Amino acid sequence: MSPAILLFLAIGLGLAGWLVARSRAWRMKREAANGRLAALPVYHAWYAALWIGGPMLLFAAAWNAMAPGLILQHVLGQPAASGLPAFGMRRDAILGQAQDVANGLAATTAIPEAAALVEPFREASMLYGWIGLAVTLLLGLAGAAWAFTRQKPDFAARTRVERGVLVVLFLASLVAILTTFGIFVTLVFETWRFFGMVSPFDFLLGTHWAPDPMANSASPDGSRYGAIPLFWGTIFIGAIIAMIVAIPLGLMSAIYLTQYAPPRLRQWVKPALELLAGVPTVVYGYFAALTVAPAIRDMALAVGISGASSESALAAGSVMGIMIIPLVSSLADDSITAVPQAMRDGSLAMGATTNETIRRVLIPAALPGIVAGIMLAVSRAIGETMIVVMAAGAAANLSANPFEAMTTVTFQIVSMLTGEASLEHPATLSAFALGFVLFIITLALNVVALRVVKRFREAYD
Amino acid sequence: MTDIAPSPSLGRTRTPEFEARLKQRYAAERRFKALGMGAVIFSVAVLVLLLGTMLVNGLGGFQRTELQVPVDFAQVGLSVPQGADENAIVRSLQGQGLPEVISFSAEQALGPEAAAQINPEAWREVAAAIAADPSLAHGRQTFSLPTSEDLASAYAGDGKADLQPLAQDLAARGLLVDSFDAGFMARSDATDPQLVGIWGALKGSMLTMIVTLLLAFPVGVLAALYLEEYAPKNRWTDLIEVSINNLAAVPSIIFGLLGLAVFLTLFPGYRSAPLIGGMTLALMTMPVIVISGRNAIKAVPPSIRDGALAIGASPVQVVFHHVLPLALPGILTGTIIGMARALGETAPLLLIGMRAFVSTPPDGFTDNATVLPMQIYLWSDQIDRGFVERTSAAIIVLLAFLLLMNGLAIYLRNRFEKKW
Repeated sequence: MSPAILLFLAIGLGLAGWLVARSRAWRMKREAANGRLAALPVYHAWYAALWIGGPMLLFAAAWNAMAPGLILQHVLGQPAASGLPAFGMRRDAILGQAQDVANGLAATTAIPEAAALVEPFREASMLYGWIGLAVTLLLGLAGAAWAFTRQKPDFAARTRVERGVLVVLFLASLVAILTTFGIFVTLVFETWRFFGMVSPFDFLLGTHWAPDPMANSASPDGSRYGAIPLFWGTIFIGAIIAMIVAIPLGLMSAIYLTQYAPPRLRQWVKPALELLAGVPTVVYGYFAALTVAPAIRDMALAVGISGASSESALAAGSVMGIMIIPLVSSLADDSITAVPQAMRDGSLAMGATTNETIRRVLIPAALPGIVAGIMLAVSRAIGETMIVVMAAGAAANLSANPFEAMTTVTFQIVSMLTGEASLEHPATLSAFALGFVLFIITLALNVVALRVVKRFREAYD
Repeated sequence: MTDIAPSPSLGRTRTPEFEARLKQRYAAERRFKALGMGAVIFSVAVLVLLLGTMLVNGLGGFQRTELQVPVDFAQVGLSVPQGADENAIVRSLQGQGLPEVISFSAEQALGPEAAAQINPEAWREVAAAIAADPSLAHGRQTFSLPTSEDLASAYAGDGKADLQPLAQDLAARGLLVDSFDAGFMARSDATDPQLVGIWGALKGSMLTMIVTLLLAFPVGVLAALYLEEYAPKNRWTDLIEVSINNLAAVPSIIFGLLGLAVFLTLFPGYRSAPLIGGMTLALMTMPVIVISGRNAIKAVPPSIRDGALAIGASPVQVVFHHVLPLALPGILTGTIIGMARALGETAPLLLIGMRAFVSTPPDGFTDNATVLPMQIYLWSDQIDRGFVERTSAAIIVLLAFLLLMNGLAIYLRNRFEKKW
C-alpha cells in the first residue's frame, strides 16, 4: 500500500468529517432552544476534522517508517528465506532484487534465490499493506466517533481547536531546535567514531594531509590525517586574501554611499551591490576558474614568479572577497548610520572636514559594529564551498605563496564525500570531523559578532 | 563706531602655514572621496565584468553548429507506424535504417568528409521530426543537423587543425552555420556538448524547489507566528531563538553533512532524488523564512491586535484573521528571497549525491535528478571546449530565474507592504 493512499485517505476522511460535522452543527443550531451554539459551526467542523485526520496522519507516518522492517521480518521467517547467506553484500543484493520485483520496480531478477523470495515479499507487502490500511481506517472511525459524540450545542469546540492550533505552532518552532540538535549530534557522533580510528592529536596537529580512501579502514595511518594544511589554506584564502579584498572595498563603498553619494546614486548602487550578493556561488566559482585564475597565472608568469599554478589561492580568495563585499558593505552601512547624527554634526561644526569626521568620529564610534560585520564576513568566507572547489585546487600545501594551489576544509569535505566510499571508512569520517571544526568556528564567530552588534545597538538607542 | 575693525585674531589665524595645511586637508578630503568612489566603481565594474563574461560566452551557448543536409526519402520508402508513440516510431525508423539513409544522403550532397562529421545522434532529431509529422517521410527535405563536436570547434576556430579547411569550405558554401538551438531548453545532460540541454536540470530544480517550499514555508510561518505572538518569555523560547539565528549563519555545506548522515540513512533508496535535496534545502531555507516572517509580523501595529481583541476575537482568531493576512506580503518577500538562495545552492546537494549524470528529465520526486547549479558545476569540470559556452548559457538561465524571483520579491514589497 503506497504512502500516498494513506495520505489521501486521511485527507479525504478528514474533509468528509469536516462537512458532516458542519452540517450537524447547523442542524443543532436550528434545533437549539435559543438558536445559539457555544461555538460557530465551522469550529465544530475543524474539531471533527482534526480528530479524524490527525491520528490517521500520525499513524500513516509511523507505519511508513515501520512497515519495511516488518515485511522483512515476515519474509525472513518464511521457509524460502532459510537458504539465504547470513550477511554480506550477496544477501543484500538478493533481498533488494526480490523486493524490487515484488514492488514492480524491476521486471525480473537474474538471481534464482531472489526469484524464490519474490512471492513471499509480495504476500508480506500485501498483508502489511492491508493491516496498515485497516488500522488507519479504524483510527479514523474511532476519531470520528469520539468527535461526533462530543458534538453538543454547549460544546466549546473553538477552545479545543485553538488549543490544537497552538500545539501545532509550538511543534513548528521546535523544528529549528531539532535541526540544530541533529546537526550537532550527527557531527559529534561521526567525529567521535573518526577519533576512535585516528588520534585527535594527529588530526589537529599533523601537517601532512593525504587520506587514502582505498586503504584498509581497520588500521588507518594517522600521520596522513594531519589537518593543519587545510586549516591554514582555509584561513589564508578565506580570512586573509578574501578580507584584504573585501574589507577596504566594502568599507569604502559603505562610507562613500552613506556620507558622500547623492541619494540618486545611492538608490542605484545599493541594489546593484545586493545583486552581487545574490549571484549563486557556483557562478562565482566558474568566474574564478574561467576568467580570474588564468589571468592571475599569466600575470604571475609575466612578472617572473615561477610555480604559479592555474588553480591558485589568490584566484579563489580574491573572487571570494568580491563575493563578500556586499556583506561587509551593508553591515558597515548599518553601523555607520547607527551613529547618532549629533556626533557627526558636532565634529563638522568644529571645522573638521568630512573625511576627518569619518575617520576620527564615525569609524571609532561604529567600530564594534564594523568588527562584528567583519567577523560575520570571515565566517561566511571560511564556510564557502563552491569557489574553492572550482578554483583553489586539491593539493594540501602549507605555504604562504598565494600563487600556489591550496586546499581548504570545505574542499576536503566535498572531495572525501563525493566518492562511493562507505560511512565506515576514516577518510569519509574525516569529513565529519572537518565539518565539526568548521561548525564550531563559524558558530563562535557568529555568536560573538551578534552579541557585539546587539550591545553596540543598545549603546546608541 | 559702526565700521568693524579687521579682527586681529583672524589675521593671525590665516597664516601661510594655515593656508598650506588647509590645502593639504582639502586634498586629503578629495583623495578620500575619490577612494570611496573608486571602491564603489570597482565593485560595480566587477559585477558588470562578471555578467558580461557570462553573457558574451553564454550567447554562443544558445547556438550550435549545424550542417544543412538534404535527404530524399521518396526513393527509400520509410513506413511510419500508425498510432505508435514517439519512442516506438523512433525505434522503428532506426530498424528501417534511417541513420544509414541520412549518412548516405549527406555523402551524396556534402562529400564523405563532411558526412563523417554529422553528429552520430543526429538521426534521432530527424526521427523525432518524422514522428511529429509523418508526411516528412515521403518527400525531399533539408534538415539542419548538429555536427560532431570536432567540426563545431573547428568552425569556431580552434580544435583540430585538419578539420579547419573543411569547416571553412562548408561555411563558404553556406552549409555550415551556427543557428539558435531551441533544443537547449528541451534536452537533458549528454556527453556531447552539441547535444546537451538543461531541461532535465531545470525540471530537477523545480521539483526540488517544490519540496523545499512545501516543507519550509508552512513550518517557517507557523514558527514565526509562535515566536512572535504566543511564545512565553522563558529559556525554552530563548533556546529556539538562538538556534534559529545560528541556523541562518551555519555554512550551507554543514546542512549537506546532516542530509547525508540523517536523510540518506533514513531513506537509503533516494540518493540524488529531489525529495532528499528538497528536504535538505528546506532546513536551510526555514530559518530565513522565520527571521523575515518575524520582522513582517512585528511590523503589524499592536492597535490591530488590540482592536480585534476588544471586539471579542480569541488570540488565535486575532492572529489568523488579522495579523497573518497583513504580514503576508512581507513573509512572501522573505520566502522568495530564501527560495532564490536555495535555488542557487550547490554545496549541500553535492554531498547528498545530486551530482549524478542524468540524461532523462526526472518524472517524480523520487527519480534521479540534478539541479541547475549542479549542472553548471558538472559542465564546468568538462574538458571539452564546447562545454564552456554551454556552461555560461546555463548560468544565464539560472541568473534569469534568480532575477525574476528577486524582481517579484521587490514588486511584492513595493505593491503590498504597508507603512503604518
